[in-house]
Amino acid sequence: MEIISFQNISKRFKLPHEKKNTLKEYLFFAAKGKSYEELWALRQIDFSVKKGEFISFIGSNGSGKSTLLKLISKVYLPTAGKIRVNGTIAPFLELGVGFQYDLSVKDNIYLYGATFGLSRDKINVIFDAIVDFARLGRYIDQKVKNLSTGMEVRLAFSIAAHADADILLVDEVLAVGDQIFQQKCFDLFARFKKEGKTIVFVSHDLGIVEKFSDKVGWINNGCLEVLGQPEKVIRTYANQKI
Amino acid sequence: MTFYQSVNLAAELIRTDFKLRYHGSYLGYLWSFLKPLMMFGVLYAVFSKFLRIDYPDYPFHLFLGIILWNFFAEATTGAMSSIIEKGGLIKKIYFPREIIVFSSVAVSFVVLISNLAVFGIFYLFANLAFDLKMLFFLLYLLQLCIVTLGVAFFLSALYPKLRDLFHIWQVLLQVGFWATPITYILQIVPQKYITFILANPLAGIINNSRLALINHQFPDVGSLLYTLAAGIILLASGYFLFSRRVPFFAEEV
Repeated sequence: MEIISFQNISKRFKLPHEKKNTLKEYLFFAAKGKSYEELWALRQIDFSVKKGEFISFIGSNGSGKSTLLKLISKVYLPTAGKIRVNGTIAPFLELGVGFQYDLSVKDNIYLYGATFGLSRDKINVIFDAIVDFARLGRYIDQKVKNLSTGMEVRLAFSIAAHADADILLVDEVLAVGDQIFQQKCFDLFARFKKEGKTIVFVSHDLGIVEKFSDKVGWINNGCLEVLGQPEKVIRTYANQKI
Repeated sequence: MTFYQSVNLAAELIRTDFKLRYHGSYLGYLWSFLKPLMMFGVLYAVFSKFLRIDYPDYPFHLFLGIILWNFFAEATTGAMSSIIEKGGLIKKIYFPREIIVFSSVAVSFVVLISNLAVFGIFYLFANLAFDLKMLFFLLYLLQLCIVTLGVAFFLSALYPKLRDLFHIWQVLLQVGFWATPITYILQIVPQKYITFILANPLAGIINNSRLALINHQFPDVGSLLYTLAAGIILLASGYFLFSRRVPFFAEEV
């Protein structure tokens, strides 16, 4: 069963030359006409993911990997094409997290969980698991602004991982986590694969990508260059790079 | 997201807003009462003592006007910036964005209800009579929410793209405060200006609320119907604009 399908997806951003956010600038620029640059972050992407698959996307910075995840999660709408997703999504996107920094870890877990559709009762059930996984037991009443970057990322990923969604989107979670956390993530990936959950993974760590993925896609300048067997795709990518 | 999940998220956002609003302040929630009371004190001194307005129950008319207006002003200002404030969440997670606007208005509504309780206490102390016609107020409260939500959708839809709106809206609220019967009552407005004053739906709402709660009278049907129509048009068009702008929020905030 296809759980995610992209049909001919393109995404264009309009990047204003100078950000016009005020009335004066609007009036001023209206006379001069178009004052933005078009950036096609993704062009004609076609792929599908089956339920239970672990699919990874690799590519250099700015190639469009994160945009692709945001399209899956519906944070962005595609400029052209059709996306179908059959299942609930727990996104972990782009490190930064959208926490309320002046609130405690505990409050943030409830708020963040609610954005995934988790009620207080449901969170109460998984609360300890979230805190344990993030190793933040000592900090639940601390404000999030007092956590380190690594801790913050651990917390955000832990909430997403425990949301029990059908699809987990993971963007570069391993980059800032420490050794213990990385190991916990690997165990979690293995467990999710066994449970038949779908994972869409973005990383620069090619070793990890090869180890866990069923399929790998290489995104180059907004185009899906190849999609297929992990070893092959990674080899093509690595050869081109040098 | 199911309806239940949306309500749950709204409740969580309301809780967050309250915590953030009063975090680090000593008086906390008390400020919700102090603000309208202080405003009332100043305006009462100026109009009742200096300008010697001597209208029966003037303090009640003034206080009711202030708390209803404050709700509108705070809810619309808060909703306008709510999309930007929740930008972190909007960029990372998809959920119906309307919930942000709803919960922002709901926070001000909770403040309004507690201020109405203060009004009620004054009422008891003044030994004013009770009357069944006071129940009409619930209808006006609903009208007030519809109008406020409509304006809130308009402002929150446009603000991420047009940051001037904040300043424009502050000025308009200033004008609105004096163009609405808050410090005065509708009956003293000269006949030739009355249509102009009543074009503002809030004028009808405040006037009818005073008629119900203080004078125990039936509503002025003309302004009741006008306000209802204006509110529904505002809400429908505001929501339409909002839903057109929603796809761009994640890129604009």
